Amino acid sequence: MNNMKKIRSGQDLDAVQRAGLEKLYPDRVKISVGMASCGLAAGARKVFDTLSQGIKQRQSNIVLAATGCLGFCRMEPLVTVHRPGKPKQVYANISPDKAEALLDAVLNEQDKEDWILCHLDREELIVSGTHHTHTCNGHGQAALSKPYQEVPFFKKQQKIVLRNCGFIDADDIDEYIGRSGYSALMKVISSMKPEYVIDQVKSSGLRGRGGGGFPTGVKWELCRKAEGDYKYVVCNADEGDPGAYMDRSVLEGDPHTVLEGMGIGAYAIGAREGIIYIRTEYPLAIEKLKRAIEQARAYGLLGENILNSGFSFDIRIVEGAGAFVCGEETSLIASIEGRPAEPVTRPPFPVQSGLWEKPTNINNVETWANVPVILARGADWYAGIGTDKSKGTKVFSLVGAITNSGLVEVPMGITLNEIIHEIGEGIPRQKKLKAIQTGGPSGGCVPASLVDMPVDYERLAEIGSIMGSGGMVVMDEDNCMVDIARYFTSFTREESCGKCTSCRDGLDVALHLLTRMTEGQADTEDMDLLDELSQTIKDASQCGLGKTAPNPILSTMKYFHEEYVSHVKDKKCTAGVCKPLFAYEIDPDACKACGKCKPDCPVAAITGEKKVPHAIIAEKCTKCGACYDICPFDAVTKV
Amino acid sequence: MIKQNEKKVGAVLVQGAGIAGVQAALDLANSGLKVYLLEQSPVIGGMMARLDKTFPTGDCATCMVSPKLVECARNLNVEILTLSELTDVTGEPGNFKATVRRKPRYVDEAKCTGCGVCTQVCPVKYQIYQEPEVKPVIELAPDDRQKTDCILEQYRDTQGALMPVLKGINNQFGYLPEDVLRYVSVKMNVPVSLIYRIATFYNAFSLTPRGRHTISVCAGTTCYVRGADKLLDRLKGRLKVDIGQTTVDRRFTLETVRCLGCCSLAPVISVDGEIYGNLRGNDVLGVLEAYE
Repeated sequence: MNNMKKIRSGQDLDAVQRAGLEKLYPDRVKISVGMASCGLAAGARKVFDTLSQGIKQRQSNIVLAATGCLGFCRMEPLVTVHRPGKPKQVYANISPDKAEALLDAVLNEQDKEDWILCHLDREELIVSGTHHTHTCNGHGQAALSKPYQEVPFFKKQQKIVLRNCGFIDADDIDEYIGRSGYSALMKVISSMKPEYVIDQVKSSGLRGRGGGGFPTGVKWELCRKAEGDYKYVVCNADEGDPGAYMDRSVLEGDPHTVLEGMGIGAYAIGAREGIIYIRTEYPLAIEKLKRAIEQARAYGLLGENILNSGFSFDIRIVEGAGAFVCGEETSLIASIEGRPAEPVTRPPFPVQSGLWEKPTNINNVETWANVPVILARGADWYAGIGTDKSKGTKVFSLVGAITNSGLVEVPMGITLNEIIHEIGEGIPRQKKLKAIQTGGPSGGCVPASLVDMPVDYERLAEIGSIMGSGGMVVMDEDNCMVDIARYFTSFTREESCGKCTSCRDGLDVALHLLTRMTEGQADTEDMDLLDELSQTIKDASQCGLGKTAPNPILSTMKYFHEEYVSHVKDKKCTAGVCKPLFAYEIDPDACKACGKCKPDCPVAAITGEKKVPHAIIAEKCTKCGACYDICPFDAVTKV
Repeated sequence: MIKQNEKKVGAVLVQGAGIAGVQAALDLANSGLKVYLLEQSPVIGGMMARLDKTFPTGDCATCMVSPKLVECARNLNVEILTLSELTDVTGEPGNFKATVRRKPRYVDEAKCTGCGVCTQVCPVKYQIYQEPEVKPVIELAPDDRQKTDCILEQYRDTQGALMPVLKGINNQFGYLPEDVLRYVSVKMNVPVSLIYRIATFYNAFSLTPRGRHTISVCAGTTCYVRGADKLLDRLKGRLKVDIGQTTVDRRFTLETVRCLGCCSLAPVISVDGEIYGNLRGNDVLGVLEAYE
């Protein structure tokens, strides 16, 4: 690291960019393994080690690299093979054994056709608006695999925030600069006035991606105009919504884009110090960020007198300690200051009086990641993407009952149908789509009937949900909506800081009512009470957590009213989730009397011998579902 | 004791006009005695006048104390002596002689309307005298002390250092030991009560010793809809502990975590930060075997 020369001018940056391009696309064979958290969980570390040892043993000059996540989590571990002058190949679901075989194939100039997910002829370089072409003179290999652009999962995506994730080694700033990283910061500092930068962000139409959707440029302007000699920019990386992990993916796969965005923001606002508040549950992201900050400092892209312009700015990391409410700006500030994270009344807004009572501009990771591209390509280009009021793209984590789960970045205004049935390729096991939960515990459930709805801030708010940070949990007929409402309420009840009575006690009572419903002890009055209570919590709470906490209840009561009625009146859970409201039965016609379920039953509630169809003794059954999971013939049913 | 129906003689001096003194003065005055209510500070009411609410009923303190103060001032049997100190008492029960030193007020109480203008222009600010705080001396084992000092030193110049310090201690000791927290309280000059509040507010801190390995079951939405609760039940059954508890042999601590962000591999657990995904049936019990 000591030999890194400070970047002072455009020529210096160009030189690093050339070096970066050589690292990105070397003139030798390069194999990259997706090593973000989800890849690691799927076993990418072993794959990487196998490849690394294999390369050493075979004394090959193959370059082995670790990259971030391409977003196609279902296919992890993903391995990319790039031979100079040939299309880049992406291999899916590579185990250590497969990795060994793949390495042999690569050394023998062969392909493993069956494992190829797709290939890339060229890579789009969003920041500079150009392409990097892998094939010379159109020589590619013929129809061995699908091109990247035609894989359903990637086809409709437009990657701005995730532009580098899965393509670069997050530990190497040169590779980021190789793909025109920090060119936007250079352009801004050397040729733009702060007011002009704010103007650009304003007219790009960028809105806060953390959930609120407040226009970013307006926030910056307020902070710039606020009185104060010392100002802060803060990156909110306390991604607390369960089911959303795009921020983690950006920080693990492309941390520099956040640093560059913050640098631009600090220049525009006039801030001297930046703080990244990151949740402690993301150790890998913290590690990557720390390294990125060190490297940016070594290049002089952070610190005193950046790019010889007189502008100084530095960033430090503050780790959270596991409290969901810290995603709310005022509690985030309290947490940085070392206080219990309780929200305070606004105004004064943080842009006027925030951290240590100084003007503070807080944006979320995804928002910051958009900034460099907007400044590099211009506001008009960015504003050309998306809908009237919601510009640009949004990253969603598409998870739950969906064939292709992963991170998808799509232009605003795309329909849910396109996301679920085209990108996600529908619901597995021939199940029917029931609902899409957006926005985490603050959001609501969109019923399957509204699947043709375009996704943007306004439309989601209209139907009682929110964009939130972009979690999109797909639910099929096996999910009980009352139970989902109960789950989210138990979450928000736990995470309520306890300051406002309506939130603290209201959610407690709401959870009690919902639990009664899922246990079959509720009556119709409870439903009315729950409805009224939810409205009150919404109206009377101070911060975003309490104001939105009843959304899951209200939206499920609105769109799945009959399900509540069947829980309360008929005492039946049609989805077979709420244990007291259904029973397991073995269909004697479907049962082949194989005996597989018998040893798995923890309470010995299954009768029957070999060749004698089995049955469940209802009194003994604890409804653990072990037999349901294991039966190879689907003979165990829920009634 | 003077009986109720007997003729009252003499006078009583009540020292200190806090809520107790005020109430005593009123009771005495109403039973027919002349009362001298002595108070060192310029005003009567004491601590209670500064409180918002009183424990445990949560009643408004001012609402209770202020009628009593007004009554004290109005009661002809009570003579209030503010800015006054008792210097000497001689005599015997029934016949005391008290000497009181009264400081000058420089304000004519009869004319003052309490507008407060003089306090704003006065160049000398009134400062409340406080007893110097007696800091408890905390004895730590030399080893623990060194570890703690090392963490404190690391964040000496950081603003808002309490959280990272607690984090460091939690990582170093595996939990937050009480004596270490008391030591930190003295060293950093923050009340133990605040440390306790923070330690109980955030999920990442533990006040009890933990197992050698921590199992965190992801309780995110996706994991939940894909059966994380069943997974949790299996773990609870096997380890015979509930969420947040540690096994008797200190091998495992079981806890839930909000979301590990590995939703496409749901349900997932992490053991000491290592993530295991797609756990079906009894897979999870196999995972544990690798940890001793």
